[in-house]
Amino acid sequence: MMTPKNNIVIGIIIALLVVASYNVDANPIEFIEGLPNLAIVVEEMLLVEPKYVPTAIWAMFETIQMAFIGTIIGFAIALPLSMLAARNLNSKYVYAPVRALLATIRTFPSILWAILFVIMVGLGPFAGVLAIIMYTIGFVSKLQYEAIETIDSDPMDAVSSIGVSKWQLIRYVVIPESASHLLSQLLYMFDYNIRQTSILGLVGAGGIGFYIINYIKFFEYGKAAVFMLIVLITVLIIDWISVKIRDKYIIKSQHGMEVTTK
Amino acid sequence: MKKIQMIKNQPLSLISTTKIIQMSNVSTSYDSKNFALKGINLSIDRGTNYAIVGQSGSGKSTLLKLMNGMMISSNGTIKIDYVVPDMNDKKFKKMMHTIGYIPQSLGLIKNITVIENILIGALPRLSKIQSLFKRFPEHEIQEAKRILKLVALSGKENRKVYMLSGGEKRRVAIARALMQKPTILLADEIVSELDHVTAHEIMDLIADAQKQMNLTAIMVHHDMQLALEYANRVAVIKEGEKILEIGVEGEKIVDFQTGDMSAEEIMEMYNDDSKK
Repeated sequence: MMTPKNNIVIGIIIALLVVASYNVDANPIEFIEGLPNLAIVVEEMLLVEPKYVPTAIWAMFETIQMAFIGTIIGFAIALPLSMLAARNLNSKYVYAPVRALLATIRTFPSILWAILFVIMVGLGPFAGVLAIIMYTIGFVSKLQYEAIETIDSDPMDAVSSIGVSKWQLIRYVVIPESASHLLSQLLYMFDYNIRQTSILGLVGAGGIGFYIINYIKFFEYGKAAVFMLIVLITVLIIDWISVKIRDKYIIKSQHGMEVTTK
Repeated sequence: MKKIQMIKNQPLSLISTTKIIQMSNVSTSYDSKNFALKGINLSIDRGTNYAIVGQSGSGKSTLLKLMNGMMISSNGTIKIDYVVPDMNDKKFKKMMHTIGYIPQSLGLIKNITVIENILIGALPRLSKIQSLFKRFPEHEIQEAKRILKLVALSGKENRKVYMLSGGEKRRVAIARALMQKPTILLADEIVSELDHVTAHEIMDLIADAQKQMNLTAIMVHHDMQLALEYANRVAVIKEGEKILEIGVEGEKIVDFQTGDMSAEEIMEMYNDDSKK
């Protein structure tokens, strides 16, 4: 409903948008003027060089493996940390420092972690894997502890009134009750990590991004296009697979019904 | 119900005379201004089928939560089997598994199977390693299957809870509580959303289990008729106060608190209240 209060809020948001755009030089006219430049790049990109497809697939495979290791290890480390960070399971003396630690980890984007690890372990995919692990810990732990905090308090209360230990409560109530959320987050994270592993090559941390950035640097858009196309196809496939998994395990358990897929 | 005769202050024949629950002058509140319960006195004998009846918001669920230590009273004393119910107290922690509690929402874990839900009742008897790896000893699994049969859910042990009907879910919740090998069973409006037939099936089930295991059952109800049908004693709670405590012996209603009302008056008073 449009109430005077809502109008004021919308007005403030528009005002902030204008001020912020001015501050960061966001100029729509420049954008329109720049469109022909994009056309040139697109035109060059259309000169796809198919002989690079095997290399691109191989690089993509490396990227997927990096994302896979990073996601699984990151997720496994994040899970116990998020159990400690959940407010409904711990006193504030436990969750507050753990949350602070996780917030610190989350402050750095994956590209900064990648630079750090390239310095530590040298150029190559391993630095990328470490960056993905750190990023996954910071990012997914927040999703996890928020999911844990939203689980129904009734099963928790009912089971804790039996006199079970906290670890039993986590094992038998918290994990099963949040399982569908956790699985959903794992899939999302994997999907997300594939896309971001693709750009970690920018700083020399391996994967398909290494090729893309180098071809772009040397204005070989046709070659870069092959690699970008492979990324696109992979992301679409992964997305399709996660939809299938979601239908089978997640939606069903959340709504308590069978989902029929074609 | 019209046939019910009034016999004042006549003691009820009971299985045992030891007091398993004692509450004296118990008050509690959710905030500083409003009392959820005011000056409650209760004394419940071991093996009794006790009912607490009242309208929504009368404080009856709070009363159950005080009994299993989920809430702490602000005034008065509570003793459950001579122990103060406080989750932080070691002595009470050790006896928590003897109190089966079924909240109104049942508190089942919907994504796991029926048998897994029931086995949760055995968790306090498991070692750390066993519970971490879900290694339930064979005798516990057999016990769970026996209880499954008792609650008429045999053959459905591997169903996920979300696939069950309302009545079946209640059976699972009862089975989990029985798996604890409890001495006290607390149930909060367990049949309130069920149809007449299913409600009676569930109540019969609890009554059978109660006799078999010599349980003290304390059940919160909305429906006075149902409470009188099954309970030895019924406490009526109104706006946080116990206004009446009556018992049924055969066809007769026995008044334990005021001693100056006829059965018709009691029923009318309750019916008037519930219409409001």
